[in-house]
Amino acid sequence: MLLENAIADTLNNNEWTFALAECVHIGGFAVAIGSIALVDFRLLNLGLRRETAARILRYTELWTLIALLFVMFSGVALFLSQVDIYRVNLIFPIKMYVLAAALIYNFTVHRKVAKMENPPPVLSKLVATMSLLLWVSVVFGGIFTGFLV
Amino acid sequence: MPTAHSIQSIDFLTAFSESVLAYPIVLSIHLTCIALFGGMILATDLRLLGLTFKSLTITEMVTSLRPWKRVGGTIMIAMGLLLAASKAETYAPNPFFWTKMIILGLIGVHALIFRPIVYSKTEELDRSPVIPPKAKIAAILSLVLWTSMFVMGRLIAYWD
Repeated sequence: MLLENAIADTLNNNEWTFALAECVHIGGFAVAIGSIALVDFRLLNLGLRRETAARILRYTELWTLIALLFVMFSGVALFLSQVDIYRVNLIFPIKMYVLAAALIYNFTVHRKVAKMENPPPVLSKLVATMSLLLWVSVVFGGIFTGFLV
Repeated sequence: MPTAHSIQSIDFLTAFSESVLAYPIVLSIHLTCIALFGGMILATDLRLLGLTFKSLTITEMVTSLRPWKRVGGTIMIAMGLLLAASKAETYAPNPFFWTKMIILGLIGVHALIFRPIVYSKTEELDRSPVIPPKAKIAAILSLVLWTSMFVMGRLIAYWD
């Protein structure tokens, strides 16, 4: 709890650290979701068609991973700075469940299909649409956590 | 600020900013566009710098994503203006908001300068044995401008 208090104090007593944590959080998810979306756009045949989805995944996966780590560290810091508010928030737990689903999906089904050599087009499109829906839901969940208490 | 007051007093905008659902939905769309569209800009800039996506030509990178960037950018700016207009009185004196608008203008200038010599000349860039400096300058400026735009957007909330 000491660590919790130390982080909360830093973020609450210094407006700029809170702003910085938010910038890292939002910038991080922009890079994470943006890089995943490049694979999805390829799976949907909407762009980068001259290259395989597997190759696009290889180019983007490290970016996705690093960005996700930044999002999670800053997210935990933001959470710890206002634990009491999040504990009673109705949307926040939903966001966390959807986030867990999105993460598991991304590193299992999504990854597997993106790496397939000749996936049936219907499967690719279904998997990419699901991926985009999950991640967009996480963004909506984050905003609604702040608006509907 | 009488003008700002009359902007946000437009019935539609008042209803919008007071709505429990409409305002956060539009904000979420704005942020979703930043993620999807920002990812594409980042990817294009990194390709122009020769740092990644090397098996794709610059032409493929720039032209295949162009329609999506246009759609994404249009929605993002439209949603952003709606958010700002509905709170015009708070935004009008906010220096971060105006800095953000100046950066948006500079992004327009960037497009005017670099479209004819870089983004419309991608086949020439692909034929060149090394990526010409003008393409790298365009990419670095693009990264700097969009990052500043993003940071200013967040800082708007911190001015009082």
